[in-house]
Amino acid sequence: MSQAVDYIRESSELAQTLEAKTKTDWLADFRKQRLNAFAHSSFPTRKTEHFKYNNLSALTRQSFARLAEADSGDIKLPELAEQLDADRLVLVNGEYDSSLSKLEEQAITFYRDANADQKDFILEQLNKKNDKKNIFSLLNDSLTQDGILIEFNQAQTKPLHIIYVATESAQQKTTFANCLIRVAANCQATVVEHFATNKDATDNSLFNQSTQCVLNDNAHLNHYRLHLEEEHTIHFGELDFWLDAHSQLNSFHVGLGSQIKRLDINVYHQASGSHADLNGVYLSNAQQQIDYHTNVEHRVPHCTTQEIFRGIVGGSSKAVFNGRIHILQDAQKTLAELSNKNLLLSNKAEINTKPELEIYADDVQCAHGATVAKMDETSLFYLQSRGIPKSQAELMLSFGFINELIDGLKHQAVGDYLRPILANLFEQAA
Amino acid sequence: MLSINNLVAEVEGKTILKGLNLEVKPGEVHAIMGPNGAGKSTLGNVLAGRENYEKTDGTVTLDGKDIFELEPEERAAEGMFLAFQYPVEIPGVSNLEFLKASIDAISKYRGVEAPDSVSFMKKAREACKAVNLDQNFLKRGVNEGFSGGEKKRNEIMQMMLLEPKLCILDETDSGLDIDALQVVAKGVNELRSPDRAFVVVTHYQRLLDYIVPDYVHVLADGKIVKSGGKELALELEKKGYSWLEQEVA
Amino acid sequence: MSDEVINERIGKDYKAGFVTEVDSETLPPGLNEDVVRAISAKKGEPEWMLEWRLKAFEAWKTMEEPDWAHVNFPKVDYQEISYFSSPKSMEDKPKSLDEVDPQLLETYEKLGIPLHEQEILAGVAVDAVFDSVSVATTFREKLEEAGVIFCPISEAVHKHPELVKKYLGTVVPVRDNFFAALNCAVFSDGSFVYIPKGVRCPMELSTYFRINEAKTGQFERTLIVAEEGSHVSYLEGCTAPMRDENQLHAAVVELVALDNAEIKYSTVQNWYPGDENGKGGIYNFVTKRGVCHNNAKISWTQVETGSAVTWKYPSCILKGDNSIGEFYSVALTNNMQQADTGTKMIHLGKNTKSTIIAKGISAGKSQSSYRGLVRMSPMAEGARNFTQCDSLLIGDKCGAHTFPYIESKNPSAVIEHEATTSKVSDDQMFLCQQRGIDPEKAVSMIVNGFCKEVFKELPMEFAVEAGKLLEVSLEGSVG
Ligand SMILES: Nc1ncnc2c1ncn2[C@@H]1O[C@H](COP(=O)(O)OP(=O)(O)O)[C@@H](O)[C@H]1O
Ligand SMILES: [Mg+2]
Repeated sequence: MSQAVDYIRESSELAQTLEAKTKTDWLADFRKQRLNAFAHSSFPTRKTEHFKYNNLSALTRQSFARLAEADSGDIKLPELAEQLDADRLVLVNGEYDSSLSKLEEQAITFYRDANADQKDFILEQLNKKNDKKNIFSLLNDSLTQDGILIEFNQAQTKPLHIIYVATESAQQKTTFANCLIRVAANCQATVVEHFATNKDATDNSLFNQSTQCVLNDNAHLNHYRLHLEEEHTIHFGELDFWLDAHSQLNSFHVGLGSQIKRLDINVYHQASGSHADLNGVYLSNAQQQIDYHTNVEHRVPHCTTQEIFRGIVGGSSKAVFNGRIHILQDAQKTLAELSNKNLLLSNKAEINTKPELEIYADDVQCAHGATVAKMDETSLFYLQSRGIPKSQAELMLSFGFINELIDGLKHQAVGDYLRPILANLFEQAA
Repeated sequence: MLSINNLVAEVEGKTILKGLNLEVKPGEVHAIMGPNGAGKSTLGNVLAGRENYEKTDGTVTLDGKDIFELEPEERAAEGMFLAFQYPVEIPGVSNLEFLKASIDAISKYRGVEAPDSVSFMKKAREACKAVNLDQNFLKRGVNEGFSGGEKKRNEIMQMMLLEPKLCILDETDSGLDIDALQVVAKGVNELRSPDRAFVVVTHYQRLLDYIVPDYVHVLADGKIVKSGGKELALELEKKGYSWLEQEVA
Repeated sequence: MSDEVINERIGKDYKAGFVTEVDSETLPPGLNEDVVRAISAKKGEPEWMLEWRLKAFEAWKTMEEPDWAHVNFPKVDYQEISYFSSPKSMEDKPKSLDEVDPQLLETYEKLGIPLHEQEILAGVAVDAVFDSVSVATTFREKLEEAGVIFCPISEAVHKHPELVKKYLGTVVPVRDNFFAALNCAVFSDGSFVYIPKGVRCPMELSTYFRINEAKTGQFERTLIVAEEGSHVSYLEGCTAPMRDENQLHAAVVELVALDNAEIKYSTVQNWYPGDENGKGGIYNFVTKRGVCHNNAKISWTQVETGSAVTWKYPSCILKGDNSIGEFYSVALTNNMQQADTGTKMIHLGKNTKSTIIAKGISAGKSQSSYRGLVRMSPMAEGARNFTQCDSLLIGDKCGAHTFPYIESKNPSAVIEHEATTSKVSDDQMFLCQQRGIDPEKAVSMIVNGFCKEVFKELPMEFAVEAGKLLEVSLEGSVG
């Protein structure tokens, strides 16, 4: 417990020392306000509803409150970088790496170089974040020295592949990163956020990352977030989507378990006619943890949400899914559905799921469903009756269970990249 | 080939098959008819080794091997094929992937080399064509979103690919229109050969116009209560099953 | 149905809202060790009982009121409440119904619960609890013949101390939660039921609770023990007069179903809900839990229409192999009412099964939440749960919420949870109206249809009553 207090104190001190040398003094008020909230938070315990199922002991065991420097070592990018015909933005230990990046079509702006309009936009957007429940997001905010603003202002032909790599020098360190994406009115964009670890690290590294996405009127964003880091990684991520009128979001997630991996996803329908597809798969094994907290807020009428998450939980791992759909009083004619299915593969594994509905408007159609089950025996028998041995049949069914979602992906290259990775994972598990 | 001796079997504690005897020789086609709930599907499931379908007495051998010693997939590899009355949907697992896995496993069991991808694809496409299924069905999830008729044709397609020696068809005709029925019958007839046998479970005589059986058996209350030639099917069609039950009683 | 029509006439009609003028003896407000001692003394309790209470009181002092429920109300001042009230005429306990104060009997008649045995619906034995004490238990002889014990718990403490000692606090421990600890310290009365081995209780058992006195809390305690292979069906009903201040009701119910036993527990809760502005009404903070041994079954059915604030989660601990837990619930809130209710199904044994059917109806400006926990422990091989939560919203000022916690540590366990939200649709209303049914009747029909799965679990007479109760509670929610 005292370590937990230390964690908050040390982090707060760090934030103050960094404050002195930052180039983005126009963010100082925001940082101060968030730091204040952070310093007054208590470290989550099992009684903290928002972190009820997380085991954060790995955090308090080690000191993480230091930033990692950029690493110019020998960095191997994930294969998808080759397979995907895309612009590439590479961040090594949270720092932009110009030699590995390849930005032909899409421009980026660092917060420190933002012009007046951009500053206004960044500030407005950051100040919209009002979630005080998550101390890791508060910490990230209070350390926002810089960030990357990505504006899609015209028809984009190539996806943007953002690769976050952590190297050995991130071990025992905390890395912070921020990204703000804006898809302008009537524009369309594809963004792949890809988290990877460069080498077989032997020690924990902590990554605290925040992405904000704003979809202006009629904008369309295809978004992928692939968490494929190795298992020493500790990740606290925050991902917010702000949806303007008639915008459309397709967001797809893959999460492999690690020491601690926690992603908080918020979708805010803030003008009528917007639609969100939020899908994902999570897989955990060994002693890993994975936790997706999704929160979809319908603030206005006539918006729709379809959310599907599936999980496969094996070994002695622990998976958490908390899916909240929140319909505010004005949000009449909302259509929102959430489905969460889980396969539990082992006697030592654990799944905790909580699909929540909070509804304050009557003329809405909302439903959620959650299941935790073993493999379907009828399907298993069908496969066996065609000569496929039981263990292989189980693998096929497990993979099929998530492949259904992968098959639905708009960008085949992403699916083709993911399939062998995931299939391989099952074979190892078997 | 298949020899069923005094088979008694139960499902969830309830005895369904109550001493069933049946001899099937290579090259023969046996039709099994009977009222709903008689135990026809149960027989298929017991033979194929479905969980919870327990043999409590009797013996069943396939080419002399005790089938109850074998796992379901081993029975399949030994050449037993069951076309299901209600084929299950397996979203996310493509038909193609499924069939390839099946052929590979069976080939491995038999110690023969599995066809390479190219020749496998070719065969799969041909089989599709033979049952009038669009090629696209190969890419879709197993039976996922298929209509009733498509599912049944998919079963026959699999049968053609796997080339089993004993084919058990459980009401493959039900829910099919006349064209689909002919497609199914054609598929079966093409496979008929001196070393392959068929057990065709059906509720209606109709199918037997196309797949002409050597023997017709009536299954009622867990037993074969009457056996005869193909003319028995016509008689059943006319008189229904109740006269038989009286005759037996 | 347009919102204006719905909002036009938000009224209320609480039929059980009268006050009975009886002379009563009430402890002054406040809670301290002396009060606990005084309650115990009034009941002439043995030393062990007093000690148990004092221990609970010590625990309670260290505990905090839970704040996680989706409800909002001013803090209760526990020193403002009187913890014991008894009609004066009960000082010398009546030996038979003839000695019971006629005013009291009249009260129960007004509530539609005649206590005179000859008038009683055949086959229902009634224990009536008025404020803090049990006033009458009917049909005792007939029950005694079968070996069934059905009496006020205060009496059981004296007559069957070994049974009470053995089971009291075993299902809901003293420190279980803030309200349960409070109840342990100050409970005044309630019912005790004991069904011997292999006995099928010859009739339905029923308790009616009524809070009458102002500024009193009611803290009843119910304990039902069903021995191996026995069977009992138990009903409880609750009402209170209309008063402007909020009154506290913090009950504890413990059920023990031993091997192969079955307990069916049905509740129709109609405590005073407060007026349309949220003034007054009962705070209903109740802990109900049962434990099932091998092959045993506990079935909770509840129809909750009353109370200003409800905090209630009748639960099952499925400890024995093959045991079964069921929860069927209708929770209707209107006006300013708030309900946070649901269940916990804790699967410990092999092949345990649970079913949860929860129907929430929100009207007026009310908030209704389902909160549930389904937990599969690592030992719960082959366990199954099915949960269906449906919410119906009537009007656009209310809220309906679902908070299901699903936890599994066993790969062979299967959990299925589904939840939907809907409203009474214009099409449904139009069809009814086109066939000549007035809107109010139409809504009540549709709502009754919505609740059918739960009502069918209630004993016959109760099902009818529950249907009527819904109709009354919904009055004014449509034009
Ligand atoms: N999985 C099962 N669980 C319980 N009973 C079953 C099951 N399968 C079949 N039965 C029962 O077995 C009997 C025979 O069913 P079935 O073999 O399907 O008949 P048929 O195919 O001849 O219509 C029926 O009474 C049926 O209800
Ligand atoms: Mg059948």
